[in-house]
Amino acid sequence: MTKNAYDFKDYIRPRFFPHIWCAGCGHGIVLGSLLRAVHELELDKNEIVMTSGIGCSSRISGYVDFHSLHSIHGRAMTFATGVKLSKPKLKVMVPMGDGDALAIGGNHFIHAARRNIDLTAIVMNNKIYGMTGGQFSPLSGQGIKATTAPYLTIDNEFDVVELAKSAGASFVARSTTFHAVEATKLLKKAIMHKGFSVVEILSQCPTYYGRRNKLGDAVQMMEWYKTNTVKIGSKKLEKNPSLIQRGIFVEKKDAPEYCEEYNKIITAAMKGRG
Amino acid sequence: MTVSFMEGNEAIARGAIAAGCSFFAGYPITPATTIFASMLKLLPPKGGICVQGEDEIASMGYCMGAAMAGRKVLTATSGPGISLYSEQISFAIGSEIPMVIADVQRLGPSTGSATRGADSDIQFLRWGNTGGVPVIVLSPKDAEDCYLLTVHAFNYAEKYRCPVFVASNKEIGMTRESVDLDAIALPDLIKRTPYKGDNFIPFEAPENSAPPFLPIGCDTLVRQTSSTHGPDGYITIDPDTIAQVQQRLKDKILANEEELTLYEEKIRPDADTLVICYGVTSRAANQACDILAEQGKPVSTLTLKTLWPVPEKLIKEKAKDYKNIIMLEMNLGQYVGEIKKALPQKEVRFYGQMNRVLITPKTIMEVIENE
Repeated sequence: MTKNAYDFKDYIRPRFFPHIWCAGCGHGIVLGSLLRAVHELELDKNEIVMTSGIGCSSRISGYVDFHSLHSIHGRAMTFATGVKLSKPKLKVMVPMGDGDALAIGGNHFIHAARRNIDLTAIVMNNKIYGMTGGQFSPLSGQGIKATTAPYLTIDNEFDVVELAKSAGASFVARSTTFHAVEATKLLKKAIMHKGFSVVEILSQCPTYYGRRNKLGDAVQMMEWYKTNTVKIGSKKLEKNPSLIQRGIFVEKKDAPEYCEEYNKIITAAMKGRG
Repeated sequence: MTVSFMEGNEAIARGAIAAGCSFFAGYPITPATTIFASMLKLLPPKGGICVQGEDEIASMGYCMGAAMAGRKVLTATSGPGISLYSEQISFAIGSEIPMVIADVQRLGPSTGSATRGADSDIQFLRWGNTGGVPVIVLSPKDAEDCYLLTVHAFNYAEKYRCPVFVASNKEIGMTRESVDLDAIALPDLIKRTPYKGDNFIPFEAPENSAPPFLPIGCDTLVRQTSSTHGPDGYITIDPDTIAQVQQRLKDKILANEEELTLYEEKIRPDADTLVICYGVTSRAANQACDILAEQGKPVSTLTLKTLWPVPEKLIKEKAKDYKNIIMLEMNLGQYVGEIKKALPQKEVRFYGQMNRVLITPKTIMEVIENE
């Protein structure tokens, strides 16, 4: 594709619009950041496969005009793995919500990271289950009001970055919907990274998470991302260590990638070794 | 002629290779593990992929991803693994993703007896999908069948774009026997029909048929969803469109019953009793009937190799001249109801056993002679 000026209409399936996301939802901003990343990388639409599960976030695969696989809840990573192993040249992206990525899909997430297979996991973290009506998620953390936590949550949350790092992901980054330009830059790096890449994007859910927890409207929630996050290593952290860091936490360019390693097995087996 | 000494599980793996399978993913489980082990020996030297997932759910997901990317895929498990596969089996059925699933059955329920055989999953395979959509289930009786029926299974998966089950059993899968694979006449391989045309309509298909196929990753963008979709592959809430899709998913299997009917028979003139069976039990049944024939008591046998869709026409035709019908199963009666449904005018006697041991020819002779 020659590089024309960015027009999101080049990358979407218009018949699916208007999208299902609530007014103020952060997921549309994530979609915008992602489409800009694809545009700036000058990728062909037919070299991209987007595999998603079920939930608000997963609808993203229906909106994009790539090869798309809107699969079943929590299992997107497994279908993505099968596609990638079969056709390693494809760029396979796996956008996921809290549940897809780290509740029902948590096992597949850590094992894909452990294998360092060349997939791009995009975790759209809104700390809540939106589609089913505001239940808490493994990313909610303690003291949160949710449909299934009327007395506030007592569960601890996963730190997506720490989990991805310790599970073996070779690229790990975090951004927010307030930092949409930064998110595009990180997504570009993640897509081009050879190996398992994770980009966590904090994304507001004003309808369920924000309203129930009295965090204000979408704008106020995004302003919270502005005031409560900092770039990795910022001096502000010394004064306030509870600030959430943004940026690239891991970037291992030489970690063995699973499909390439598997190819070595095939080569050896075809020569009669093994 | 090359006679090999091999178990049914290896024969399934060899059947898959003969059918052009290039992808296997699985998770260890007795008594199916040696299919995985055989595929590991056979696939990578041919450039194929054979991987172990973190669980059955993942392994099945890999297989489906690979199938959608255009590969012929096999996975193998036993009852507890079928439980875990079931959400993806529903997806494969609804989204018409071709694949072959070998279920080397063991004695259930649940963990049950890992190293003991039973035909535990006959109804589970049929009804283990949400929506109750018909499926294809083939039942081998020995290693030779494991080879042949696996090739048929791949052909059916291609033609009808659906998961196809080979319902083996620990007793077949893990028993070595002499088999000459070269002497087995295999059906011609059915090639996947690619979509030809300018405007790709992913699920548009003629009546009673599956749609042509395009793999993920080619020039034409492919879209797939587990949600209820119309012929265009987009989520739909239109009642008429939904009704048509549901009907086609059902019809493409049931309307092709005769083409999907595989069986064996041993008809003895003057017999007034027909024994109907499937799987490893049919070997004991045939042995029992041979002995009875030598004693001057002829009894015919019908061995079903296709269990689903129920070969009703075949059962009606074969049973029509018999006074007595006896159904034998290595469970407490999972399939006999289908036989009774097919033969409403006949009295169908049943003997089943689910106690981890094979039904012996002696027991079968007693059942037959206790008319």
